[in-house]
Amino acid sequence: MRIERLISGIAALAVSTALATTVLAAERIEFMFPAPVQGKLSREMQKLVKEFNTSQSDVEVVGVFTGSYDDTKIKSQASAEAGKPPAVVLMSANFATELAMNDLIVPMGELAGTANVDTEAFMSEFWPAVRPNAYFNGTLYSIPFQNSTPILYYNKDHFAEAGIKKAPETWGEWVDAAKKLTKADGERWGLMMPSNYDYNGWLVQALTMSNGGQFYNPAYPGEIYYDHASTKGALKFWRDLAQEYKVMPTGVTDSKQVSTSFFTGKTSMIVLSTGALSFVRENAKFAYDVAFLPRNVRNAVPIGGASLVSFKGTTPEQKKAAWTFISWLTAPDKIGHWSRFTGYFSPRQTAYDLPEMKQFIAANPDALRAVEQLRYSQPWIATYNTVGVRKAVEDQMQALLSDAGLSVDEAAAKAQKDADELMQPYIEKTAGALIN
Amino acid sequence: MRSDPLGRHMRHALYCVAVGLFCGIVLVWSSPFLWMLVASFRPDSFGAAGMASLWPDFTPTLEHFGYALEDGDFPLWYLNTLILVSGTLVVQLITVTMAGYTFARLTFRGKDLLFAIFLFQLMLAPPVLIVPNLTTLVKLGLYDSLIGVMAPYWGSAFGIFLMRQVFRTIPRDFEEAAIIDGCAWWQVLIHVLIPLAKPGLLAFSVVSVVFHWNEFLWPLMVINDPSKQVLTVGLVSFALGAEGASDWGLIAAGTLLVTAPLFIAFVLFQRQFVNSFMFSGVK
Amino acid sequence: MDSADTASLGAHSMDRVGLKGRGFRAALLPYLLLAPALVFLCAFTYWPLLQALLSSLSSKRRFNDVDAFAGLDNYARLFGDSDFQDAALNNLVYALGTTIPSIVLALFFALALRRSTRVNSILRSVFFFPTLVPLVAASALFLFILMPDIGLLDHYLQKFGARSVNWIGDPDIALISLMGLTVWKNAGYYMLFFLAGLQGVSQDAEEAAIIEGANRLQRLWYVILPLLAPTTAFVVVIALINSVTQVDHVIVMTQGGPNNATNLLLYYIYQQAHETYDLGKATAATVATLAVLLAISLTSLRTMERGIHYEK
Repeated sequence: MRIERLISGIAALAVSTALATTVLAAERIEFMFPAPVQGKLSREMQKLVKEFNTSQSDVEVVGVFTGSYDDTKIKSQASAEAGKPPAVVLMSANFATELAMNDLIVPMGELAGTANVDTEAFMSEFWPAVRPNAYFNGTLYSIPFQNSTPILYYNKDHFAEAGIKKAPETWGEWVDAAKKLTKADGERWGLMMPSNYDYNGWLVQALTMSNGGQFYNPAYPGEIYYDHASTKGALKFWRDLAQEYKVMPTGVTDSKQVSTSFFTGKTSMIVLSTGALSFVRENAKFAYDVAFLPRNVRNAVPIGGASLVSFKGTTPEQKKAAWTFISWLTAPDKIGHWSRFTGYFSPRQTAYDLPEMKQFIAANPDALRAVEQLRYSQPWIATYNTVGVRKAVEDQMQALLSDAGLSVDEAAAKAQKDADELMQPYIEKTAGALIN
Repeated sequence: MRSDPLGRHMRHALYCVAVGLFCGIVLVWSSPFLWMLVASFRPDSFGAAGMASLWPDFTPTLEHFGYALEDGDFPLWYLNTLILVSGTLVVQLITVTMAGYTFARLTFRGKDLLFAIFLFQLMLAPPVLIVPNLTTLVKLGLYDSLIGVMAPYWGSAFGIFLMRQVFRTIPRDFEEAAIIDGCAWWQVLIHVLIPLAKPGLLAFSVVSVVFHWNEFLWPLMVINDPSKQVLTVGLVSFALGAEGASDWGLIAAGTLLVTAPLFIAFVLFQRQFVNSFMFSGVK
Repeated sequence: MDSADTASLGAHSMDRVGLKGRGFRAALLPYLLLAPALVFLCAFTYWPLLQALLSSLSSKRRFNDVDAFAGLDNYARLFGDSDFQDAALNNLVYALGTTIPSIVLALFFALALRRSTRVNSILRSVFFFPTLVPLVAASALFLFILMPDIGLLDHYLQKFGARSVNWIGDPDIALISLMGLTVWKNAGYYMLFFLAGLQGVSQDAEEAAIIEGANRLQRLWYVILPLLAPTTAFVVVIALINSVTQVDHVIVMTQGGPNNATNLLLYYIYQQAHETYDLGKATAATVATLAVLLAISLTSLRTMERGIHYEK
């Protein structure tokens, strides 16, 4: 008798607790995000998440810091594969295409639909340059959140010392300046550019585009142009900087090393993302400035950065929660705050109309430069198996930087071969097949 | 007569050189940790030319530790790591004791075959099996759980061999005395054998705890939920940002926080540590 | 004695352990005791091994792909993949380059710190410390230490006039740098095994050698080393297995680069599974790596058996 009563008592308690928690519980969703600079920026993102959570009680966002862009992709996909698709992920802007191709993410229209928001109207507030990477086959799959372009940071004190009046605007001027700034015996390098994975590919694309080329086929994600003249010219240029002109170290240089060298005065010029702008502004203890990436044939740079995507397999409630968070995070004031804090430019045009933003730009002209370079920016490489295809040329670039005997033609040919092989499964299903 | 090709002075000089060389090796060996200590307290961790200097010529600051504790969720990671190593160890102790006892004391059909099956597992190191093990975990619904991280290690072939060895070397007299007194097998096991096997059990425990405290790849693959993250994975996500500039003082401080517990435990229980590692491998 | 009661195999021995009662229960006991360990073992070693074998023969690459029999196709692609070839070759070089130096150093340390004095105790701890640190933590530290120009190593080397070296960015040096890190981390651990082994080396044998007029070096070569053979064999196996199963530093420091210079077998598996999403190649590589581990273990087992016989 007593035991039965105990059991029914416990059962009642359990049921009522369950009911209570379902009623009281906010919709809990996971938000995975990378950060360009660990520490400060990941902290700031967590602050934003907390702000969102306390501002309303329908949605509870759990912020998961997932390291680099590549790591974030790995983690989010692993999670989805294991049956726990994350509702919101801040994904490298060019991965959205591949994820959409493999049917892993949800079209944004589905999310926006829960709040009756028209995606076309929504996207019209964003810069045209950031839109192509957000679409696949005409459907919107991601909302840009933070964007960057590669930019040239330079040490004004060193420039004055070497008698260089203005920042280089062409490749020729660039090499000249770098030669003047380089000191013997590696005491100071004229220029340093990160050649580790991800950064490497981005910069190769930037140089190829400055050299007049396109790098990949934006209309068909199964084609890449590593073997073409413009790409080869870019590969040769970067290689020569290290091997011929000797204005930068040979071997692979990690982005951490690039920034640390800049701060310690071991290098006069660096190419880094505009996403590191506020980091540089805070830590450079000398006069510095930024300039457009020098052109060869034309001024052109790929955009970089990250956009918000949502993985397939979430419940309608999670989708609604995801959109609530996404629209909050990309509101002009929040996205503007993030831009000022990080140095990324805000992909949402309307953010620049706000008074805080106008004030900030007036006080910090270097932040304006990133936005100004936007008129020359184009989409980021996005193909089938983007990471593998990207690494195909990155490995060769790293080889060129380390091995003086390797010829550019040979390296480009190998990169092309490896990339084509990786894209083969996709080609077999599309361009190489007879589609009904 | 002993041959003495080198003169006394020569030998003495050589000895001094050897000692000097040895001291050099010791210094080089410990330099990474010395740097870690110095860098985590050094203010202004870059831009300053002396970032790599081992000499503490500055006023120490605790700001890096403050940021580290703010950025990373160290208390949570400590807790999860503790849960992980103790959960793994407890089950291991039970399974290896039972299995070790069985192979040491009992006779049964198929003993050699079963033993070979366990032996074989020693060669199939769990780290190499991450891909299929992950699939198994997903099917069992253990993905993204600490239990999922522990499970593959619960049948430790290494532990079974160790315990078998340990039980074998215990003289039978004690057991026989207990049996004459009327004890059943499990009483013999619990009251006689296990106490005598304490050194071996301790050795195994130390090896297991250190191994699982320091494990990285497997927890990285299994766990996504930040509330279940362990120290090693936490440290990496903390030390490597995306577009990569780095605050070395912060990284040094974070690394110190991760390694400190085992260091402290080592300093306090040095003899047990060393003995157990030595015990764990030989013969 | 009530041995008359137990009817199962080895009744006499069962009785020696206190097993009374009906034969059936007594006979079942060993299997029951082994069951838990066996269950975990099968679930997480043999079952995944089978899965890996099957997966490697399937055409499935991503998790939502078609699962058709593909024969040895994956293996063909695997062995034709230059990245895999690099990883395999690197692992071989890495295995030799870590095993030999760490064992030589471990032996050296053990011999030097043989006596249990206070000082020796402290020194042993110093050499052993790196083993306590997670490999990822050590990698985070070494990222700074190995930074060209500004890092710890270059900073002090430059005081001696050396030029800056790109320790992990130069494809020719990167693997060597990782080997250095591994040796630093593991030598202390192996030192402990040698210390234990040295304790087992009988004093008599050494004293006999001293009486016969052998100097230090001769004692080492003719007496100590042969008696340490079983320990050495054991440590070699552990070191070789570690060289295949420890890749944390590759993940943190080089990600297999530059240009596959530091790609190792296990890292290659990780890449194929989680970056390139080629399950076929990942599992084929898993099977290949297991075969390597098996070869290492079997050959060493045979050597150890021989060693033990010799000792007896």
